[in-house]
Amino acid sequence: MKKLSLFTICLIILIGSWVFLEFVVGGIISVPIPNSVIAMYMGLIVIAILVHISVEDSQFREFLRPIHETLVDDRRRTHRRVLVVLIPLFLLGYTYAIIAQRANPPGSPRDAHPSPPLELTYKDEVIGTMQDVVNPFRHYEKDDPEAFKAHVENGKRVYHQNCFYCHGDHLDGQGHFAPYLQPLPANFQDPGIIPNFQESFFFWRIAKGGPGLPAAGTPWDSAMPIWEDHLTKDEIWDVILFLSEYTGYQFRTFGEAH
Amino acid sequence: MKIRTIAFLLILFGTLAVFSLTYAQNAPEASERGKEVYENSCAHCHGIEGRGDGSAAENLLPKPRDFTRGLYKIRSTEAGQLPTDQDLFDIITVGMPGSSMPEWETALSTEERWQVVAYIKTFYEGFKENENPPKQITLEGKISYAEQSVEIGKELYVELGCVECHGNVGRGDGTSAPTLTDSWGFQTWPANLTQGWNYRGGADTEDIFKRFIGGIAGSPMPAFEGDSFLNFGLTAEESKRLIELENRDEMTEAEEEESGKFYEKMDTAVDIALSIKEGAEMSAAEMQTYNDAMKVVYEKSWHLANYVKSLMPEKRPEPAIGNNVLRSQYVQGTLPAIDDAVWETFEAGYFPLVGQVVIEPRQFNPTIDGVHVKSFYSDTEVAFLFVWDDRTHTTGDEIDEATGKPLEDALAVQFPVKVPQGPTAPKPYFLGGGRLPVYLWHWKASTPEQVTELTAKGINNAEAQEAQGELQVQSTYIDGQYKLWVKRALKTEDKKDLQLEPGVFVPIAFSAWDGSNGDVDTKRTMTSWYTFTLEPVPSSRRFVYPPIIAILSVGLLFGLRAFVQRRNTEDV
Amino acid sequence: MKTYLLASFTLLLACCYVGIIGTTFAADPDAGEMEMLVFPENYKPMAVNNGGTISGVVKFEGDKPEMKVLEITKDPKVCGATEKYDESVVVGEDNALKNTIVYLIDITGGKDFDKEAKLEMDQKGCKFTPHVQIVPLETRLTMLNNDRVNHNVHIFSNINTPVNKQQTKNRRRMPLAGVKKAEGPVAVKCDIHGWMSAWIAYVPHPYFAVTNEKGEFTLEDVPAGEYKLGYWHEACGTNSEAPATVTVEAGSTVAQDFTLKLK
Repeated sequence: MKKLSLFTICLIILIGSWVFLEFVVGGIISVPIPNSVIAMYMGLIVIAILVHISVEDSQFREFLRPIHETLVDDRRRTHRRVLVVLIPLFLLGYTYAIIAQRANPPGSPRDAHPSPPLELTYKDEVIGTMQDVVNPFRHYEKDDPEAFKAHVENGKRVYHQNCFYCHGDHLDGQGHFAPYLQPLPANFQDPGIIPNFQESFFFWRIAKGGPGLPAAGTPWDSAMPIWEDHLTKDEIWDVILFLSEYTGYQFRTFGEAH
Repeated sequence: MKIRTIAFLLILFGTLAVFSLTYAQNAPEASERGKEVYENSCAHCHGIEGRGDGSAAENLLPKPRDFTRGLYKIRSTEAGQLPTDQDLFDIITVGMPGSSMPEWETALSTEERWQVVAYIKTFYEGFKENENPPKQITLEGKISYAEQSVEIGKELYVELGCVECHGNVGRGDGTSAPTLTDSWGFQTWPANLTQGWNYRGGADTEDIFKRFIGGIAGSPMPAFEGDSFLNFGLTAEESKRLIELENRDEMTEAEEEESGKFYEKMDTAVDIALSIKEGAEMSAAEMQTYNDAMKVVYEKSWHLANYVKSLMPEKRPEPAIGNNVLRSQYVQGTLPAIDDAVWETFEAGYFPLVGQVVIEPRQFNPTIDGVHVKSFYSDTEVAFLFVWDDRTHTTGDEIDEATGKPLEDALAVQFPVKVPQGPTAPKPYFLGGGRLPVYLWHWKASTPEQVTELTAKGINNAEAQEAQGELQVQSTYIDGQYKLWVKRALKTEDKKDLQLEPGVFVPIAFSAWDGSNGDVDTKRTMTSWYTFTLEPVPSSRRFVYPPIIAILSVGLLFGLRAFVQRRNTEDV
Repeated sequence: MKTYLLASFTLLLACCYVGIIGTTFAADPDAGEMEMLVFPENYKPMAVNNGGTISGVVKFEGDKPEMKVLEITKDPKVCGATEKYDESVVVGEDNALKNTIVYLIDITGGKDFDKEAKLEMDQKGCKFTPHVQIVPLETRLTMLNNDRVNHNVHIFSNINTPVNKQQTKNRRRMPLAGVKKAEGPVAVKCDIHGWMSAWIAYVPHPYFAVTNEKGEFTLEDVPAGEYKLGYWHEACGTNSEAPATVTVEAGSTVAQDFTLKLK
């Protein structure tokens, strides 16, 4: 077998790395890498190749040999003719594509879980600080399981009369209104949702809805109603109990060891 | 020793298998376990006693099924028959598109779903009485989809009277549509056959065929089973001839006689069909007559199913989100009018509408699926074509009791007054107020040639602009579909208007009202913000720079060769 | 034990909800609340010689109600040619109440049905005629359509299989299969013409009569004896809980009038 020239090896490494990043990592393993990152990796590889071939004079010459030959050697006339057509054609198409490219709209910088205010309110009534307020019915879980069950059951009713249109029968954010809402309704079955928030945070998000979000949460996009207009305080707390009971996830708490 | 172990294991597994089989087949036990699953997952809509009156039912339309009457819409069985267990299992598994019944495949195990099937059957005595398995509709003899079949189906669609409810082209806008009620007395709408993604029981040709032959129990949809089928007992040609005769104002004596013979033939066939239904024994000749007649019925039904299939796109259009934004195309000179064929030459942006549930009064059961939008612009003007399906043409003759306002069909298009600069700049609130005003176009069916320009700072705080008449408007309502054409100058004198220029990404949102669905004020369907842009005319530079670069590259290659050649000579 | 308690508590709560909702949200306008006829468990046809007759008049108590004109929303040429009225209460001269079924509740033996009688219901001018039809078991009812428009015959049976068949415009007659179980009256509708309304009673014996314009009814060839005489009217309900008692003597006529008021 003919030994591959250094130039061919470098070319193979370069193309191989790109194919690996773009299609193997991005496609098969499906961890898409942003184009800018791919460009950076490719830049590093090019530098590495340059360093490698320019370590010795002889090696550099060896690298350049095929280029030389293609440019001047008569035995490579066909190669030369093909390249002299292909390279300009490629550049023609490439520049055309860049210039004619459609502009795309700016992406949304939406923060799905923006910082809540310091104080938790219901309508205009101050309930307490966001950090300290706890679900007033949570203690029934230990103290009075029957009362607790009744509250959860009421929460279930409230949920199915108000929330399931968007958040779904399974509480997975896949209600029958959901597919055509932007942003999508919260998925309470996502292990990253309930365990990361206090019940007071949920109360705030339910009570104030989309319009109550700070700018970072792009309130103008959210279809979440202002539930304090429709539900009582107790109903909101009940529905919060139902969310954790049904999904089996515990809300985050402070203070007591958990 | 070894053999003993194997024998022991065999006996063990055998016993286990037999045990689990009897366990699985033991219906009362399965239904008992189903009760728990049912009460946890289903009762909030279908009610503890299966009467379709759970806590969520009030705001739902279609209503959750009442299981106590044995009326099931989606069946693979013949008219008047109960569904098979598999039918029930399938519906629970995949859900019912276009309704609030979700799929339960992710939330319930296969076993749990079978248990629920066993349990919901206990709500209706008929399942117990019926020892014979329900008779399934045969799918043999399917006629595959072809232009010719669709053509025959199209004729049948009219002859059978499908148009009465489903309308001329299937948009559910038939003249009977507004007065339909289900077997419980609740209002119900005929399917918009062009929206396959909303078919409750699936939109495959087989599904359509089954719904057609078996009917949709509990709804006004009749079963087009044998004996009541159009001209049962006549061949396709005879049937055609009879319809032709019947459509004449006057018949000659000979024609009267001819049609009389057809009727006699029909009566004979119908008599046999009814006798079979009533359980009578039939002779071979009579069975032959019956089978021949049924063959025609099934053939025609496949043609009809193929026609219905032809009415819908392959799948629901993709919403115009992400980079798939609404792009207005540039044209030189005059913009196309509402009826210009050029509108048909490209895909519309699709904006699915959802019920407005944020502010009272709310709409939990929207009837408008989505609005399709296309746009062209020229150097001075922009034209939009908004297209949406609405089963009824409601122009405000009826007054809404709660608000005192007329119920009428309408569409609103919303832009910000000033385009937010950059991705982090706030957009105006869609609903509920805020500091940033929006610029609205409001069209109403009662004034079809007029669009009011409004400035609004919140949903209940909209004011008509003083300067009106900057918009040119045309609209049509044909076969259950509105088309609204609006044209405006890109730049206006009015400071409250949005000013448009190519290449800028403008937030856009829509609201639609269906008067016959009680839509008025905030009770409506809506979208959140999407993006619209006047697609810039592709730069003419695209014809200049690429050739220059190509030529330069050729020059460079030759230069390089010359350089190398010279160096080689020098080296030598 | 604990779970048992919780479960029953849940059930209790759930029942409360159903109760609360049930009051505001009646799920069943036609089927559940409609009062039904009462049928004997067994009926044996036999020869009746020298039977008696029960006849009488059914009257409406109160002011003669104004008949509501129906809105014809479709096919005005055919359906709107004459004015159509809501026929749920038809009161004639002298407060005579039409369309009341009067029948023997507890008869177990008597004459057979008249097999020769043609059983038809017409849909003329987008109106069912008659408004109340008695149909013997296992007997075909023929639906007529000379309207030259499409109708669909929708019979809202609960005990028998419900029927919903399209009777296309050129289908002049469409017989319906006989049914096996006594039931009714059940509502008949045409979904295409939403105002069309009628009632069918599937009955096991022939001692049923429907009052005419003069409110008159007659039950003939009744074997002598004492009977409970019941009535049913669409808007006035039934007397099933306290039926009239009549004593029929061979060869003679006994009179029994009723006066009904709205439910």
